[in-house]
Amino acid sequence: MKRLRSLFQRDNAASADVARERLMVMISQDRLQRNQPDFLPRLQKELIEVILRYTKSSQEDIQISYHSLPQQAQLELNVTWPSRS
Amino acid sequence: MAKVVVVTSGKGGVGKTTSCASIGTALALQGFRTVLIDFDVGLRNLDLVMGCERRVVYDLINVISGEAKLSQALIKDKRVDGLFMLPASQTRDKDALTQDGVEKVIEELKADFDYVICDSPAGIERGAMLAMYFADEAIVVSNPEVSSVRDSDRVIGLLDSKTRMAENGQSVPARLLVTRYDPERVELSEMMSVKDVAEILAIPVLGVIPESESVLKASNQGVPVVHDQQADAGIAYLDAVARFLGEDRPMRFITPERKGFLSRMFGGRR
Repeated sequence: MKRLRSLFQRDNAASADVARERLMVMISQDRLQRNQPDFLPRLQKELIEVILRYTKSSQEDIQISYHSLPQQAQLELNVTWPSRS
Repeated sequence: MAKVVVVTSGKGGVGKTTSCASIGTALALQGFRTVLIDFDVGLRNLDLVMGCERRVVYDLINVISGEAKLSQALIKDKRVDGLFMLPASQTRDKDALTQDGVEKVIEELKADFDYVICDSPAGIERGAMLAMYFADEAIVVSNPEVSSVRDSDRVIGLLDSKTRMAENGQSVPARLLVTRYDPERVELSEMMSVKDVAEILAIPVLGVIPESESVLKASNQGVPVVHDQQADAGIAYLDAVARFLGEDRPMRFITPERKGFLSRMFGGRR
């Protein structure tokens, strides 16, 4: 029945599934940010500025991720740049 | 020992005040002395939904600032024994709502009542934070709709971090009340199911209130919808409160009503 209906109602079909998927992505991001310190965006921005000053990286070559562990917080920094040939 | 329960949601217009009125009424019908506090300073509405707007003399802010005694500000419900409400101020600035003041009022009410139900304003500003701060339990009201669910998740995060219980290393037990539920649209996959919402928010379900014309009718008349035992929404609130009190009741109104040909053609919605 459901399938039969969806044949005729392509537009509406499964919009609830879309809602659920979008929410799950959004909320997992929200939850990550909720535990992050307020200064993190500024710290990230400044770190990127400093790294760009010294290396020939582009912005996409710099990855900063924050991990909240039970005892301590961790900042992971991955930078790549073209080595001189 | 009295329990302080906050009814909250983050998003506005999802049915906090309607739910608060019906839950409080149902608790009082069960014989518990219950008081409802409206925390929405400047935009009070609980008095309208309860139908006692013309009897408001003093309000929460008057009590906090010492201009009136608590007993002068409490309004006794005309329909149910043991049910009272404390209205919000309509005119005052919400900075007059202080944590110490709210604590004093709640402590005083706890001595005299079984349940203190705090009707939170929308948003996450001062009024909402104070409504949840002293809570022993929370009822999170959500519509099966993306922005409402997201805001509810934010509020659950605040219950876990910005309340007195959280500061003491505990978390406020929260349960989900899904309102404006339309089982027919859920079956057509046009609306998220209560199971979807509960999985995303990861809290137990207290109840599901179906979308119902009786809710508007009830607020038009100033009679909490739980009094309307012909209406599915009214029955659903009674069920939710029974579950709140620990009873195990199956969920109703979560599958579409099977309609006959005639009512399909001519509409038989209540």
